[in-house]
Amino acid sequence: MMGIRLYKEPKLNDPVLVACWPGIGNVGIIAVDILQKVVGAEELGYIEPWDFFYPRKVVIRDGELEDLEFPGSKFYFKRTEKKDLMFFIGEEQPVGGGRGYAEGIKAYKMADLVLDVAIEFGCRRIYTSGAAVAPIHHTMRPKVWLVPNSENLIGEMRGYENTVLMSDIEGRGGQGNITGLNGLLLGVAKKRGLEAICVMGEIPLYLQGFPFPYPKASKSVLEVLSAAIGIGIEMEEISDLAERSEREIESLYERLPSQIKEQLDKLRYVTYAKPAEPGPITEEDKKKILEDIDRFFKGEPREG
Amino acid sequence: MGEKHLFKIYERPELQSSSLVVAWSEDAGKVGPKVVDYLNKKLKGREFAEIDLVDFFPLDGVSVENDVAQFPESRFYWCQGANLVIFRSTPPGSEWYEFLNAVLDIAEHYCKVKELYTIGGMVSPNAHTTPRALLTVANSPEVKRALSQYDFISNMYYETPPGQRPTLSSFLLWAARRRNIAGANLWVPVPFYLVTAEDPRACKKTLEFLDNRFGLSIDFTDLDEETARQNEKIAQARSQLPELDGYIGRLESNLNLTTDESEKLVKEMEEILRKY
Repeated sequence: MMGIRLYKEPKLNDPVLVACWPGIGNVGIIAVDILQKVVGAEELGYIEPWDFFYPRKVVIRDGELEDLEFPGSKFYFKRTEKKDLMFFIGEEQPVGGGRGYAEGIKAYKMADLVLDVAIEFGCRRIYTSGAAVAPIHHTMRPKVWLVPNSENLIGEMRGYENTVLMSDIEGRGGQGNITGLNGLLLGVAKKRGLEAICVMGEIPLYLQGFPFPYPKASKSVLEVLSAAIGIGIEMEEISDLAERSEREIESLYERLPSQIKEQLDKLRYVTYAKPAEPGPITEEDKKKILEDIDRFFKGEPREG
Repeated sequence: MGEKHLFKIYERPELQSSSLVVAWSEDAGKVGPKVVDYLNKKLKGREFAEIDLVDFFPLDGVSVENDVAQFPESRFYWCQGANLVIFRSTPPGSEWYEFLNAVLDIAEHYCKVKELYTIGGMVSPNAHTTPRALLTVANSPEVKRALSQYDFISNMYYETPPGQRPTLSSFLLWAARRRNIAGANLWVPVPFYLVTAEDPRACKKTLEFLDNRFGLSIDFTDLDEETARQNEKIAQARSQLPELDGYIGRLESNLNLTTDESEKLVKEMEEILRKY
């Protein structure tokens, strides 16, 4: 396969592929990274990076160019008694010209290469993972938004605990967008006749722009992935990460001005209950919260 | 995408086992572009090819620098008697590997290039009165050995710090190694307060090596005169501005400046040299 290097060719029985690239709060990548480590997956190969990425590091030793390192795009595999697993972890989304998320021909090519390998090993189902920005409070247990690429999967999706479909979310009417490769892979899989599901952990809308991870959402993702692939996962590592992160967020939260905290506290009461009643927080409120938070961190005075 | 779409060849240069000198238009002290422009002028370089801009540059408008609208360019020149190829280019905005391979395709297939050198300035905390050194990074032990006869600092250790990216010259050197083309990055330190101006002394240091390596016998009188004029201008400013003289004096004594002092020196020097 052009552009792909495989170290071995294991015989896998109807494996599922769990693929992920970094995104908001690194929600998906943390979950998938822990999952592949916990099951003890072996490295299978990689996608050649040079057509997709600018190098991230040069190593010069004694006046000689020793190495040029690129962001990794690696495959892993694990045979288990219950289910054979494949993983793909991309350290960066392939982008050009400073855009945030993969788009266009490079993204499409990478999605195609990932699926080439999946199909080569007999894979028929793909999971991707990312973050869903939601009007929730950081003290709440994040739900997991599930987006399948086929109507046939809706019934199965409804069976997983702590999950919602787009149609469960007030005002969305089942509509939405998944930016970048974690979304694009669903579409390319559909085109190639593969089942695919994007598993997105909720991140509070006021944390979406923060440059730190949100492992609490990763934990929710991991719980759903574990149920979906039918393999029990030890949650100790992710629970520790989530608790530590929550303590840090809480300490930051306590330093917020009381007017901002009052707004954010409204998010403690968000529910997905139907029929939709006038919620405790409006679109206007959401906009104001984001503006206030932005001003707070820029040290600008607050309006009103 | 076939190679026909990536570049245009206007003329087939008559070259065998030639050398390629590469410079990027954005460079500290304008060292790279000034060195290749100087070579082109002295050796009567003729343009023979260019890389198509459309695949590598956003072309969504023009930037304006020093009051003048700029436009990307990626041009090749050849210097007949010197067996030398020059590539002067704006750094591409995307598809870097494809771009660098297009450069190497032209170099290999149309110019029979056997070795390449990239030219670049690097920001230095030293004073302009400090002698310029030339640092090299080779892409093989053989190249390193071949260059050991020259007056280089050739024992550099470096790793890209977090949050930064390698230079395009490093990327090209690596791409050349993948194709078994010998190569080296040549870096010359440029005093930080000359980075946005020009550094003729740094250019001469680089040119002296190329002159020696390719047996060009270039007369550098004009470059020496330019250096003398710049030195004179700075010396005049030092005599009139005690604060600026103090800053440069401290750098000459290997003492550090604070961030504010450095910024002030850069700003004042820009003003002084703009009038130059």
